[in-house]
Amino acid sequence: MSQVTIANVRKTYGSATIIPDVSLDISDGEFVILVGPSGCGKSTLLRMIAGLEAISGGDIAIGGRVVNNLQPKERDIAMVFQNYALYPHMTVADNMGFSLRLSKVPKAQIAEDVAKAAKILGLTALLDRYPGQLSGGQRQRVAMGRAIVRNPQVFLFDEPLSNLDAKLRVQMRAEIKELHQKLKTTTIYVTHDQIEAMTMADKIVVMRSGVIEQIGAPLELYDHPRNLFVASFIGSPSMNLIHGRVEGGHFVSDGGHRLPLPRATAGLEGRPLVYGVRPEHLALADDGFEVEIAVVEPTGSESHVLARLGDNDLTCVFRERITLRSGDRVRVRPEPDNIHIFDAQSGDRVIQV
Amino acid sequence: MTHANVEIGSAGGRRLANTGLYAIYAVAVLFTLFPILAVVMLSMKQPSEVFSWPPTFLPATLNLDTYIYVLTETTIGRMLWNSVFLTACSTAGCIAISAPAAYAFSRLKFRAQKPLLLILLVYQMISSMVIALPLYRYFEALGLLDSHMGVILVYITVEIPFTVWLLKGFFDAIPPSLDEAARIDGASRLQVLRIVILPLAKPGLAAALIFNVIAGWSQFIIPFILIQRAEMLPISIGVLNFAPGQTEGEITIPYLAAASIIAMLPALTMFVLLQRYIVQALTGGAVKG
Ligand SMILES: Nc1ncnc2c1ncn2[C@@H]1O[C@H](COP(=O)(O)OP(=O)(O)OP(=O)(O)O)[C@@H](O)[C@H]1O
Ligand SMILES: [Mg+2]
Repeated sequence: MSQVTIANVRKTYGSATIIPDVSLDISDGEFVILVGPSGCGKSTLLRMIAGLEAISGGDIAIGGRVVNNLQPKERDIAMVFQNYALYPHMTVADNMGFSLRLSKVPKAQIAEDVAKAAKILGLTALLDRYPGQLSGGQRQRVAMGRAIVRNPQVFLFDEPLSNLDAKLRVQMRAEIKELHQKLKTTTIYVTHDQIEAMTMADKIVVMRSGVIEQIGAPLELYDHPRNLFVASFIGSPSMNLIHGRVEGGHFVSDGGHRLPLPRATAGLEGRPLVYGVRPEHLALADDGFEVEIAVVEPTGSESHVLARLGDNDLTCVFRERITLRSGDRVRVRPEPDNIHIFDAQSGDRVIQV
Repeated sequence: MTHANVEIGSAGGRRLANTGLYAIYAVAVLFTLFPILAVVMLSMKQPSEVFSWPPTFLPATLNLDTYIYVLTETTIGRMLWNSVFLTACSTAGCIAISAPAAYAFSRLKFRAQKPLLLILLVYQMISSMVIALPLYRYFEALGLLDSHMGVILVYITVEIPFTVWLLKGFFDAIPPSLDEAARIDGASRLQVLRIVILPLAKPGLAAALIFNVIAGWSQFIIPFILIQRAEMLPISIGVLNFAPGQTEGEITIPYLAAASIIAMLPALTMFVLLQRYIVQALTGGAVKG
């Protein structure tokens, strides 16, 4: 069993509090992704789980064992670093077998385990090379090989793909996911790329300024963002947000435009709100509200349209090809089931759709 | 067209600059080599030639008689051995202590880190001359006079500050994520140092080795103060009292000159050998990335 339990963990550097109080349960075999903007404390949290950073309060348990005061090597974890951190003076095989060598596993056994991991990752032909003789993607694989050879309780990844080019990133994304499905090892993965989070995770943890904003399955976060931050962070292009208030059963933007509401909105009248709708939930419709087109970006499979509703920018993604051009006016309508209303002050969602 | 002209012009200019540079090098080399050459010439002269007038640069005959005499009939072998022993032990001791210290300064965060580093730097600036007298008193009290052990301890002490700073610089250039990866892979701090850091800092170790060997070989004040017994003196001091002549008033300058040259050779050879090693370590590191 290798569940990870983080209970009321705190981190301070001197007088600066980086993580005030984080609790998180990760069950055995789960693929959890910590995501959030730069500097929100994702790496810090991961490094505290690894034992590379001391915790200032709370408890971290791996496999039911509290590891607060254990050295990294006693925690039975493996970590893949952003810069790969391969030992430049050792061959690929020695890099991958390093941990086994340290734990005095017999040479023949090491060779066998390394060969097995190399086969899974397609590194067999590269075992005698030095890291300096590998491409970025190959180094990335060696770093993963070094982690899986040990068969640890938990894998930790800190932005492992951010040094790769876009195409390779997509490929490695799939490989890591496949690897996880094969090995079923509990995995904690840090990224600031929400697409990585959406495509790979069983569970996403959205963080901001050391605080967990929401925990949930990718589509759960996508469909039911708990607040404005999560709503705008998850999804690409990100959700359209229009400030305004409810008047007489309609949402009226600050610019005076009327937008439809899904259902009864008793009790919402008068207070400042934010109307959220994702770009793909806007459809061309004659009974919709009128917008002015600014830019049309055909991607082939769909059309991205940047439009204006008064002072608000509105991004729309249409499945159909658009022949309109800048300056044209069209009518669009939000899908009633996919409208989000947030409180403008607290940022919290006020209607559950 | 014009572009090519400019290229040729600048290439010519570069050649001119290079020639000038080499001319300056040549003068500098001559300037440093001349005294050594003079000593070599002196070592081959007969006693009668030394003060002949007008003075001659070249000896009357080129021969190695004085060298053979110095090597076979004097205690120079003993002195050389003393120097080798002192230098080797102090170099090994100094690097053994400085490497972990430099690693700690490079990787661990602790409150006294900056002040301690500064103290090391200041300490390194103190001349041996300043500590000579108290050093003598202490070592007398400790019964460490006329002891190679005592001298080695002092060599190590005075060479540690620079060696720590030198090695810390090389360790700082190694990404800390390598340490972290190794610690997660199951290495203790000492294993990280031994298996990951030191092999990657080979050029730094070679530099530290050269520095320590040169410094140990040429130590003068410390052994001068701490050692009196002739058979324990290192060559750097032994050469000073080099007077192998038996009869009173005999001119011994050629022997002194020969002994000086012999004293220089081991350090020189070491330097040349280690310098190769540095280049090797540097290029080796580059290939491995
Ligand atoms: N040693 C330190 N001393 C003081 N503050 C630190 C230290 N290390 C990190 N921090 C601060 O902690 C915060 C969180 O850093 P962390 O590296 O965890 O961010 P991150 O979420 O991983 O960001 P990124 O996506 O840029 O990697 C940052 O504001 C950073 O400035
Ligand atoms: Mg980070």
